[in-house]
Amino acid sequence: MKQRPGAWLVLPALVPVVLVLGAGIGTAVAQSLGLMPLVGVPRLSLDAYRAHGADVLTATRLSLGIALAATALAAIVGLVTALAVVGLLGRRRSGRAVGGLSVLTIPVPHLVGAAVMGLLLADSGVLVRWLGLDSLGGIVGGPLWLAVVLEYAWKESAFIALVVAGTLVTRVSSFDETAALLGAGRWQRLRRVTLPLAQPALIASSALSFVYALGTYEVAFLLGRVFPEPLPVLAYRLFTSVDLTTRPQAAAVAVVTTVLSVSVLLLTLTALRRSPAWR
Amino acid sequence: MALTTAAHPSVRRTRTRPRRVERALRGLRGWSGLLHLGLGVWFLLPLVPLLLWAVADRWSFPASLPQDYGLSGWRGALDQGAASALGRSLLLGLAVAGLAAPAGALAARGLVLGRVPLPGLVGAALLAPIAFPAFAVALGLDVLLIRTGVANLVGVVLLLAVAAIPYTTYTMRVAFGAYDLAYEDEARTLGATRRQVLLRVQLPMLAPALSGAAFLAFLVAWSDYVVTLLIGGGQVVTLPLVVASAASAIGNEAVVATTSLTAVLPPLVLLVLVRLLGRRRAA
Amino acid sequence: MSAHLELRGLTRRHDPDGPAALDSLDLDVLPGACVALLGPSGSGKTTALRLAAGLDVPDAGAVLLDGRDAAGVPPERRSTSMVFQRPLLFPHLSVLDNVAFSARVAGRSKRGARQDAQTYLDLVQLGGYGTRGAHELSSGQAQRVALARALAARPAVLLMDEPFSALDAALREDMHVLLGQLRAELQPTILLVTHDPLEAAALADTVAVLHAGRLQQHAPTGELYTRPSTLRVARLLGGRNEVAGTVTRGAHRSAFGPVPTTLPDGPAVLVVRQEAVALAAPGGPEPQARVQDVRPYGPRLLVTVRKDDGELLVEVPPGRPVSVDDPVGVTLVDPWVVPLLSLPAGEAG
Repeated sequence: MKQRPGAWLVLPALVPVVLVLGAGIGTAVAQSLGLMPLVGVPRLSLDAYRAHGADVLTATRLSLGIALAATALAAIVGLVTALAVVGLLGRRRSGRAVGGLSVLTIPVPHLVGAAVMGLLLADSGVLVRWLGLDSLGGIVGGPLWLAVVLEYAWKESAFIALVVAGTLVTRVSSFDETAALLGAGRWQRLRRVTLPLAQPALIASSALSFVYALGTYEVAFLLGRVFPEPLPVLAYRLFTSVDLTTRPQAAAVAVVTTVLSVSVLLLTLTALRRSPAWR
Repeated sequence: MALTTAAHPSVRRTRTRPRRVERALRGLRGWSGLLHLGLGVWFLLPLVPLLLWAVADRWSFPASLPQDYGLSGWRGALDQGAASALGRSLLLGLAVAGLAAPAGALAARGLVLGRVPLPGLVGAALLAPIAFPAFAVALGLDVLLIRTGVANLVGVVLLLAVAAIPYTTYTMRVAFGAYDLAYEDEARTLGATRRQVLLRVQLPMLAPALSGAAFLAFLVAWSDYVVTLLIGGGQVVTLPLVVASAASAIGNEAVVATTSLTAVLPPLVLLVLVRLLGRRRAA
Repeated sequence: MSAHLELRGLTRRHDPDGPAALDSLDLDVLPGACVALLGPSGSGKTTALRLAAGLDVPDAGAVLLDGRDAAGVPPERRSTSMVFQRPLLFPHLSVLDNVAFSARVAGRSKRGARQDAQTYLDLVQLGGYGTRGAHELSSGQAQRVALARALAARPAVLLMDEPFSALDAALREDMHVLLGQLRAELQPTILLVTHDPLEAAALADTVAVLHAGRLQQHAPTGELYTRPSTLRVARLLGGRNEVAGTVTRGAHRSAFGPVPTTLPDGPAVLVVRQEAVALAAPGGPEPQARVQDVRPYGPRLLVTVRKDDGELLVEVPPGRPVSVDDPVGVTLVDPWVVPLLSLPAGEAG
């Protein structure tokens, strides 16, 4: 019976993806290169990239810094949460409860997360009132972009915990017992068996979190300060400004962000392929 | 060959260095409760102001708790159009889920169980939307959509569906990995038509994974802000936009809280339902 | 590697209201000996193994290694190694590093541990496979590496939980041969759990039969086949013949003739292996029966014969044509008498 499904099955998903991504990024690239101006004659040029050169550099450094800080914090908290959930750091029942609480944050949209963080961390926010202080030194809209980093870290730590716990939960007990029987104590089992087993999932989910923190607009918009601007905020401002000639510049910023994002993921993928625990 | 017995076989000798660490970490056992508590606080703390402000009528600085409780936040939310925004968000979520979940399921079935040329490349292409920032694709696509005259809402739905496809495809790929085509062959030898196989075998067996994939797609659309803002052009007002406009103004905390709560509850309810469905099927 | 393992009165109850998973098990594994724990699933054999390894804590009784009580000693400090049904090779380590794991964990340098591991890898005849990844091995090879890894830990006692049941028959044969070689080379003390009486017979010096958490009999394999202490043991080892009768004046009387026994007077059961019954031409002095059924069994025949109210299953070698309704003479080569099976809620049968 020739029952094997046909190749056409991928088309309903593949065609829209290729069309939308291709058209979207293609148009952005074309705009940034001066090939689709709203007024005037199309002319290949790099003016859009050079126009706000210093701003774009600052924005890139800022975006990368925020994403790095947020991902590092999220990875640490997420890893510890995952270890607690599978029962390697204390009692399993309370670990499961922590896991349940972390899942609660997943249906929260990032925008709402930012709004809620604002309620908590603003200078007139709830945390200030509970701690009895005058102010928190400007976490929201402050020079360190702490509120933005914390919001990303808060949500992404739950995501990382979910992914890492998912890979550990099926394998951890049997490998843990095997390692114990070979003489490894608790700390050694964590270091030599559990963490290496968790590493690919940790790296993959961290890379996804990094890319997300890099390219998201709403959190920086709500919790950040007016200047300097991270890449998505800069792009949005240029895109919606009254001056129509900034459109190509907005597209240029979008292209730069895309290139950064794709490069990070490709680098992660090649690093993962070489790791022996990745299958 | 030194393959003989150890001197004291019943208790293994351990190195001194691990022993000291072991002793130090044994003390950690008492700290594990504290650790769990700390993690619980980390995840729960931001949600507490949300709940408090949602029922606060008046809560001025520097009081620790609201001075007056009431529903003014909810009235404010309704005034700012939260009800219709809720409806629009729901429709958007359902539309995107209705497109991305079946497409992802079909693609996953093709990739896992069928013969697809260059499966690695196709798989990577279906995961690609994750690598591309949503605002960048929206920026580019917006110009194209204006020039071709496609309606705003259609553009939003299309872009969000594409953004959701990596999640639905991945979820269904995992599900099909554990799926046996032999069930369908068996059903056909028992006399079921193609349609009956679909309705009586495939869908029931895949229901938990499908609902999970649909939920993820729904969440992508429900949570979106920048695509709706850029391509919607201000005409498509979903719940995140209402929350954002409330949050960017000052002194609106109660409305921020109530609109945020409205934005959190439906996906939370759906998540619980999806998990229950998965557990019931597994039993 | 040759310690004396003793299980004394080992009891474990998983469910406080239900039956015990393991009930007062007394077992002695002498240094260098190989004892098999045989029984159906649920008989408690894996529980006994896990208690010996320290992966579980007994509710009563003790595990003694060379006379010292191992209570409170966690598995990593107890000198026992275990090989499971699945190889469970660490996927992030190469084959050699897997075998070297216990040495690394005990503090040896990477090079020293690897050198040590290489000798064990050679022992299981996989010397050249050290640099491969764990996923590149076939299931038989992976199980060998798991064996080498467990032995490289220089355990006082080697515990094995159905280690070869996931392999096909030919591979299993190879593993039996390998284990024999390892026993000759290292003289480890082995406690092996299996549900296959043939494997128990092939590998172990003595076999302990467990049923519902209780020890039924601990004896060399031959004795279990020919001198089972209870009906349960006979059944667990595949015995199909049970003839009811009564013991009077020192012999069991049934349709197939008197069989001397030391059991007290009363009802009892005659058991005899289907391979230990000979069929002769009719008309002789032995009990005469009639063939009821003939079924092929590989190259042999399974013949059911009946005399009065007694029925026997006989395994007949090839070359002896037998048909239904043939009269035959029946000789019991090595019969034995066991007590009636007591009710499950009562004492051990």
